[in-house]
Amino acid sequence: MEEMLRMEGISKRFGTFYANRGVNLDIRRGEVHTLLGENGAGKSTLMNILIGLYQPTEGKIFMGGEEVHITSPAVAVEHGIGMVHQHFMLIEAMTGFENIILGSKVNPSALIEEAKDKKAIMELADRYGLEVDLDLPVSEMSIGMQQRVEILKVLYRGAELLILDEPTAVLTDQEVEGLFEILKSLTDEGKSVIFISHKMREVTRISNRVTVLRAGESVETLEMADTNGQELSDLMIGHHYVESTYKKVDGGKPVLEIKDVSYHPAEKHGGLKNVDLTVHAGEIVGIAGIDGNGQSQLAALVAGLIAPESGEVWRNGEKVAVFSPEDFIDQGLGNIPEDRNKMGLVGDMTVAQNLILKETESDRFSFGHGLWLKSKAIQEFADAKREQNDIRCTSVNQTARSLSGGNQQKVILARELDGDPEVLIAVYPTRGLDIGATNFIHDSIVAQRDKGCAVLLISADFDEVLKLSDHIAVLFEGEIMGQYSGENPPIDQISLAMAGK
Amino acid sequence: MSRFTKFGKRYRDKALGIVIPIVAILLAFVVGAVIILFLGKNPIEGYGLLFSGALGNPGRVAQSLMSACPLIFTSLAVAFAYKCGVFNLGGEGQFIMGATVTMMVLQVTGIQGVPGILLGILVGIIAGGIWGLLPGIMKITRGLNELITTIMLNYVATLFMNYIYSGPFHDPDSGNLQTPAVADSVNLIRVDRMHFGVIIAILMAVVVWYVIYKTSFGFKIRAVGINPTAARVAGFPVKRLVLLSFIISGAIAGFGGSVDLLGRQYRLMTGFGSGFGFSGVAIALIAQLNPIGSMVVALFFGMLTTGASSMQVGIMVPSAILDIIRALIIIFAVSGMALMKLPTFKNLLNRRPMDQEGLMPPATGDKKVEVSE
Repeated sequence: MEEMLRMEGISKRFGTFYANRGVNLDIRRGEVHTLLGENGAGKSTLMNILIGLYQPTEGKIFMGGEEVHITSPAVAVEHGIGMVHQHFMLIEAMTGFENIILGSKVNPSALIEEAKDKKAIMELADRYGLEVDLDLPVSEMSIGMQQRVEILKVLYRGAELLILDEPTAVLTDQEVEGLFEILKSLTDEGKSVIFISHKMREVTRISNRVTVLRAGESVETLEMADTNGQELSDLMIGHHYVESTYKKVDGGKPVLEIKDVSYHPAEKHGGLKNVDLTVHAGEIVGIAGIDGNGQSQLAALVAGLIAPESGEVWRNGEKVAVFSPEDFIDQGLGNIPEDRNKMGLVGDMTVAQNLILKETESDRFSFGHGLWLKSKAIQEFADAKREQNDIRCTSVNQTARSLSGGNQQKVILARELDGDPEVLIAVYPTRGLDIGATNFIHDSIVAQRDKGCAVLLISADFDEVLKLSDHIAVLFEGEIMGQYSGENPPIDQISLAMAGK
Repeated sequence: MSRFTKFGKRYRDKALGIVIPIVAILLAFVVGAVIILFLGKNPIEGYGLLFSGALGNPGRVAQSLMSACPLIFTSLAVAFAYKCGVFNLGGEGQFIMGATVTMMVLQVTGIQGVPGILLGILVGIIAGGIWGLLPGIMKITRGLNELITTIMLNYVATLFMNYIYSGPFHDPDSGNLQTPAVADSVNLIRVDRMHFGVIIAILMAVVVWYVIYKTSFGFKIRAVGINPTAARVAGFPVKRLVLLSFIISGAIAGFGGSVDLLGRQYRLMTGFGSGFGFSGVAIALIAQLNPIGSMVVALFFGMLTTGASSMQVGIMVPSAILDIIRALIIIFAVSGMALMKLPTFKNLLNRRPMDQEGLMPPATGDKKVEVSE
């Protein structure tokens, strides 16, 4: 196949630290090429070089055999390179159409020629099967449609090479299928895709070739047909990877009982309808289901953030009267919330401050019930947790925002499991994390279970639910569709229940 | 090549926080000098008069300190509220309400001496707190934007004071619109040539710093200011904290109003407290919302106010030049801080950026490699 892009011996140095060193990557026309690597392996740096945000310290870039100097993102667009970022770069209050033409020089007219531009966009959309409502404000679009707008934006600017940074991290399984079909129609037309992901199941399915990065260097490029998920995992982490399995157990006494709870039951996406669910001490109850079927509300209910409209919640055989996060936390609740940055961390505070977020009034970290914070004790605690949870940062005094997703999640985990809570809620605990971090989170959750903690696991990743849960419940449009044992679960039955059947 | 040590980045950021305002002040003075030159006067002579007028003798210094006193209070009010994510532009109204209520209570009760001072200040603090509480309630119950409500309440407070000094509390012996002076016995105790309020203001800055940075309460306030959602999930009573920050912020400004009335102005009159609220905002922003920094900047602004008249008399340039310089300081300081946030500048300063995912150095076995060389 014809070569589209070649990056040769790319190095990028920040101070003494090499984010990339001697990386080689070549992309052929019409292929899906996966860039595989753990967080911090240098994938983002490499892509930032390719789209002109960084200049490489060394190395050359060739497009169609000719050397190019991508000095700015505008130059990258001229060369037909476009990137769909993991966190979408859309203006929520504007419509899909407005977002697509925003800043584009495709139509040189000074006036907005809406009919003409729309026609051009719709042609693209039809050609690649991108179903988008151009007149809908982005804020009202599903995540999947927002992503399609991002893809259209890039295509409209004439991209031949599309970079998709962890595009499946935010999608439901159904949406992932749709995305894969779009990718196929793109490559059928001779466009190429650089796909960044660490979900091995997707990588093995969609890729033509895979380049593995590790510690800033390119380890190997393999034809997908000649390799398998196991080999790729081994290459990615640098030693033989063994997927952990966990023993399924039976729980003890009921700790958390949800009895016939409804919350906005009329809403299909965002309500709860007559939910009955019990979590026992020392067991993991996994909630399977497609994202947006009441998972967020269930998590909010158990965290005390919302009160049920009808029905009751019982804790240790006592009915809960007041729904407030303070009270729930006082009674021993650990919460790994669904959105690390919005709900879990105060991004502009330091790692150390985030680790003691809930404990500033304790005698451990302050004198006189919060009158004087003990900075030394806080520092020591943070350093200990950093060591214990392998939180990778240059100092616990850097902001939590500056950590990678996996390390942010480790900070939250360290905080929430400190003091061994009686109940733990884990919502999408490993979303967007690499293998190493995912395993660490899973091990920690199971270890907590073995200490007698009642764990409610909510995840859109079906494999994760199957792997961890001692007991599985399926949520569909706010209703519990069925409950199953975690030991030898009837996978076909559960899949049907997830689709509402 | 220089390498940052483990804490180097933090110290560097702190150093920048001091360097930027200083550079801004110097630049503003340079521009001011050009303006004075265009007016055909000698800027060096003018600035000499400005500083000798502000600091030339103990009396001048005391005058400068007393001019700074109300600004310290209003800037602390802004800094405190902003730490909780509340933008209190109502410092002026809270300041005026504090002074007005102090005046009224002292006139009506006629309490003399130290008890009078204490009572006057207490009711001033309460009045300011209530004036801060009102927009707070509007925000947390109805979601009204405090930027607007606090400004509107400034007008209400000013007009209320207007009514007080021209109506029920008008000084019958004066043709001017003003109240009679408060009794001599409730004037703030004087330390040398200045009133005791200056010391209170300086202590206040230390107290605000302590509360914000050293207590659990301040920690929560800051967490709410940065990320209210995460604060709520972490079990903080977010609404209560926001409301408290409105009240405390208002109370600080009201305190300042009382102190200025009893220490310097003695009576309410047209223009009392005018502009102090917005000067407070500007000072807090220049100081990057640091309470101690706010105090220092306020002291500097007080100095400029006092020295301005000496310069006006000495070289015959309008004291409005000083207003221009003050405004330029604000513009330069704020743009300096914005400049530092630009990625290009950040990269220049951070040889090794750490702000984006994927750029984090992967942890190697030897952590020392990352932090030193």
